[in-house]
Amino acid sequence: MNLDFLSIDPGSIIFTLINTLILFLVIKHFLFNPVNKMLEERKDDIADTYNKADIALEKAKEAEAHYNELISGARDESAQIIKNASQKAQQRSEEIINSAKADAAQIRVKAEADIQREKQEAKKEIRSEISEIAVMVASKLVDKEINESDHRRFIDEFIENVGDES
Amino acid sequence: MKISDLFVGVKEISVTGPKIIHQFKFCGITINFTETIVIGWIIIAALAIFLKFLTHNMQKVPTKRRQIIAEWIVKTVNDLVEDTMGSKFKYFAPYISTIFAFSIFGSLISMLGLRPMTGDYNVTLTWALMTFILIQGTKIKTNGIGGYFKSFLDPFFVMLPMNVVSEVSTPVSMSFRHFGNIAGGMIISSLLYFALTGVSTAIGLSFPVFAIGIPAALSAYFDLFSGFMQAFIFIMLTMIYISTAADTD
Repeated sequence: MNLDFLSIDPGSIIFTLINTLILFLVIKHFLFNPVNKMLEERKDDIADTYNKADIALEKAKEAEAHYNELISGARDESAQIIKNASQKAQQRSEEIINSAKADAAQIRVKAEADIQREKQEAKKEIRSEISEIAVMVASKLVDKEINESDHRRFIDEFIENVGDES
Repeated sequence: MKISDLFVGVKEISVTGPKIIHQFKFCGITINFTETIVIGWIIIAALAIFLKFLTHNMQKVPTKRRQIIAEWIVKTVNDLVEDTMGSKFKYFAPYISTIFAFSIFGSLISMLGLRPMTGDYNVTLTWALMTFILIQGTKIKTNGIGGYFKSFLDPFFVMLPMNVVSEVSTPVSMSFRHFGNIAGGMIISSLLYFALTGVSTAIGLSFPVFAIGIPAALSAYFDLFSGFMQAFIFIMLTMIYISTAADTD
């Protein structure tokens, strides 16, 4: 038994409708849902990768700027250090020269004082020797026991006077 | 056209609808369970197995050809729907591909010697009615109930019958176009088999020698080309009608 070639049959329509819905669910469930999900995941993955790359690039740039700053800072610092060091060295050398000069001056003053003292002592010695010689000569000449101490006083006075006049 | 026809030839032409496999009464209405429905099940089962094979165990980085095929199908349908209907109707892609797949395989199944599903007017009518409901639904959604009924009185009251006829003619024309092409092809094929059998019999051959090969050329047009064309026309019209219904003017 067949349907008519051109017939509208409610049973066929209902079953076709159900069949179409089943095929719709099959296609949606077995094809579109998994593939769309996969495409979406892949899209997210790619976006994520690009994001990460952008962030990494930014970080690298930041680091570069940071290190450039550090390097220029170090250069300044080293220049400063060298300048300070040379300044200090200059100062130190001046100090050393000054102290050497001061020492030299002190030594000279001391030496002059020593010379002066030696001179005085030498004068004194010369004076006492002269007076001894004079006493000896006088005693020989006079041959007479004179009070030696009186004589010495005389001579000393004499020499004193002579020294004052000279 | 039955498989046995290939061996004994087509001796007589009977233009009938699909075979009724089972008949029962439900609420006083006679429900016919026809071979069209069984063929529909065969297509559904085959497609389910094929699609499951294509999309099982998919990877983010595709390594298997079947995954690339599945992605190509989805992308093609998505792009087609997006180009024709706009991106706000992208969710129509599974529906469109359902109609397309059912239509094309329903027509191509005639190459296996089965009765083409789309050669049953009830099938194309069902799809056209689904499209019709979607069109009306989209119109109501776009213009609101009041705007929807007012559009029938456009541009003035007398145009009401015209507007109703123009609305109703959409599913009628769509269903008859599809049905007519496939059923016509089916009839021409059986006419040709009948003629070739007649020629074979006339020269005294019991085996229809001429029916080998010659119908294949015609089948390439009526089954392959026409089946593909009608499926494509049907989904294109569906998409265009629905997206036009969403236009606010």
